[in-house]
Amino acid sequence: MNLRDLLSPFFVWQRAFEKPYTSLRPTIDRPGAPAYRGFHINVTEECIGCGSCHTICQNHAIDMVPVAEFAGREGDSGLRPRFDYGRCCWCGLCVDICTAASLRMSNEYAWFTEDPDEFHFTAGVDDKPWQHNEHGYRRAEGYHLYPPKRIAMDMLSPDESVQSFEEVARGYSEEQARKEADRCVECGICVATCPAHMDVPDYIHSIRDGDYEKGLQLMYRTNPFPATCGRICTRRCESVCPVGILGEPVAIRWLKRFIVDQVDAQDYRRILNDQITENGHRVAIIGAGPGGLSAAYYLRKKGHAVTVFEAQARGGGMLRYGVPSYRLPDSDLDKDIDYIVSLGVDIRYNTRIGKDLGFDKLLQDYDAVFLSTGLSVPSSMRIHGEDHPRVLSGLQVLADVASGRDPGIGKQVAVIGGGNVAMDAARVSRRLGAGVTILYRRRIADMPADTEEIHESQEEGCTIVPQAIPVEIIEADNPQRVTIKWGEAEMVQDPKGGRPRPVLQEERMHTDTYDSIISAIGQGSNLDFLSKDTQEQLAIEWGKFTPGEYQHTALEKVFVGGDAANRTADAISAIEDGHHAARGIDRFLNPQAYTETQADNGMNGHE
Amino acid sequence: MNSVDEILDYAIDQEQQAADFYANLAGRAEKAGMKEILLEFAAEEQRHKERLLAVKNGDHELTPEQEVLDLKISDYLVEVDATDDISYQDALIVAMKRERAAYELYRDMAEKIPEGRLREVFEGLAKEEAKHKLFFESEYDERVLMDN
Repeated sequence: MNLRDLLSPFFVWQRAFEKPYTSLRPTIDRPGAPAYRGFHINVTEECIGCGSCHTICQNHAIDMVPVAEFAGREGDSGLRPRFDYGRCCWCGLCVDICTAASLRMSNEYAWFTEDPDEFHFTAGVDDKPWQHNEHGYRRAEGYHLYPPKRIAMDMLSPDESVQSFEEVARGYSEEQARKEADRCVECGICVATCPAHMDVPDYIHSIRDGDYEKGLQLMYRTNPFPATCGRICTRRCESVCPVGILGEPVAIRWLKRFIVDQVDAQDYRRILNDQITENGHRVAIIGAGPGGLSAAYYLRKKGHAVTVFEAQARGGGMLRYGVPSYRLPDSDLDKDIDYIVSLGVDIRYNTRIGKDLGFDKLLQDYDAVFLSTGLSVPSSMRIHGEDHPRVLSGLQVLADVASGRDPGIGKQVAVIGGGNVAMDAARVSRRLGAGVTILYRRRIADMPADTEEIHESQEEGCTIVPQAIPVEIIEADNPQRVTIKWGEAEMVQDPKGGRPRPVLQEERMHTDTYDSIISAIGQGSNLDFLSKDTQEQLAIEWGKFTPGEYQHTALEKVFVGGDAANRTADAISAIEDGHHAARGIDRFLNPQAYTETQADNGMNGHE
Repeated sequence: MNSVDEILDYAIDQEQQAADFYANLAGRAEKAGMKEILLEFAAEEQRHKERLLAVKNGDHELTPEQEVLDLKISDYLVEVDATDDISYQDALIVAMKRERAAYELYRDMAEKIPEGRLREVFEGLAKEEAKHKLFFESEYDERVLMDN
């Protein structure tokens, strides 16, 4: 060995102090092309966490992960996409499918780190330098992987519809339904928003598969009124459908109706296959509306003997006596009710609790009682002259028509109010041949009625006068008529916030004369059948029951639900209240079946 | 009433009477939930009284120049009786009408006397009552006129 060989390791060491030949950032200052598919950008405030990017990704490079700041938002899953750049192939399908157009790609393509875990990142949440990059791939304007417009429902023309009480919406054909079902991205955000948490993506999927019996089974897990809700549901599901962000939401309600319309009522028993094992418990339900009958259905499935007490001659509550048949034909409501009754539910019609039978008697004779008595008392305007005989209640007009009676409205009517009852009363009046003017205190945009109903009422010839405040009812020259004095309103911003309030302009008053004035400004509950002590125990605030967990009250045997107990006062909320109360009553009557380890098992709506 | 203190004492007494009125009605209320609501009305009147006491003690200023929104809801509603079975709607009407009457009383008093400190006090009290009326009218607008 010569001396050089001996010293060479020490010469190598001196290299350690020289400038390296390799670089941590080998490429610099070479930007990607303007439309390059580079690193992902997500505008998290616009993203609703539908997960369509995750579903479409062929490389499983996207996971949906919870992000705390978005948890609990209405119409938002609270999840955001997390990318794995070890898997991503930069195809851009995630950007193309993004329902909110929140996902895009920057033209950044160089990212250096010594920590491989960094290549998993949640775009828009983990701070990255390209988040605000203006370049990169965007979905082309007007390019959609699914049709942005829904399949239009065939409807009677307004000229035809006002001629009769025939159902206005005609229903989808099979081809139409399948096309509409294909627009669903199956995100499930609608499931969280639906008060009954119906399994919307799966029953829509059953349409794609042509398996309507499965669709019916899925719907009955959480809603025994699918024929009804397929027609008149307030469809909050559609209001959060991500497809509706860039286009029109999936017509979930019409698809639900389509499934029910494909199945004959006589096949329900075979398809739903509800097996009942009697357990010996007796439950009384007051009110055969959607809340009461929903509770009846789910209680019956658990083997409880159920007796429903109904003051009217037929079941359905407001669905029967408040929703006109051009929106919900009796035969479809009966399809839902008949199946519930077929399970052995005993409905005692024309039986008013408090008059025909005492509430205390029910408490004595039954193991549990569910109150779902709804809102049956029309609110009063409390203006001078309101007791004029030509001032009618909207609820009464609707009930008369539903019962085949002539409400005697005349040829020119004014409807007061902006809710669904007002719209129904107006459209019923058109069908009875009357000219209709709707007076509403606020703007049309403030009307609590379904926008579809408002639109259809206008199409059918109803004139809406917004910002019109009734101040007095006056005798008309003709005793068969009535005059209303009303004033114009200006919308004024409340300094304390909230929506603008209408302020009467006393210098802009009007008087108009009609054959009838139909008041439809709201309704309240009638709790006269309960004693004062009982009412106090049932915890009533602002005229509504305030139940606790599982709709239970402070009265041991009593559960409450429906319009008289919730703020939304729509059919689907009442249906969920009934289902929830059924769970509560079953737990109450069979506590041994609900140990800590199997809590709610078998009564979670998916049994 | 010739002095500011006398006027304020009268106004404070009126608020106390209103609080007593609602508390008494609460004791007789038959409808479910009305007892709690009427007691809340009574508490609201007590808050009005406290506010005026603070004015009298020099801890708070009346604001006669302040603009107060007038929804004019109570102006066209019928009179209702404060019966034992009073409903929430009628209780609000009673409250709105009482505040409106108080507002008009102070406003009229202010108009009848020459400009000066006393007039400012009456104007300030009128604005206070206008605010109370707005409170109950806003409640009526939100809870009773929901569909209208």
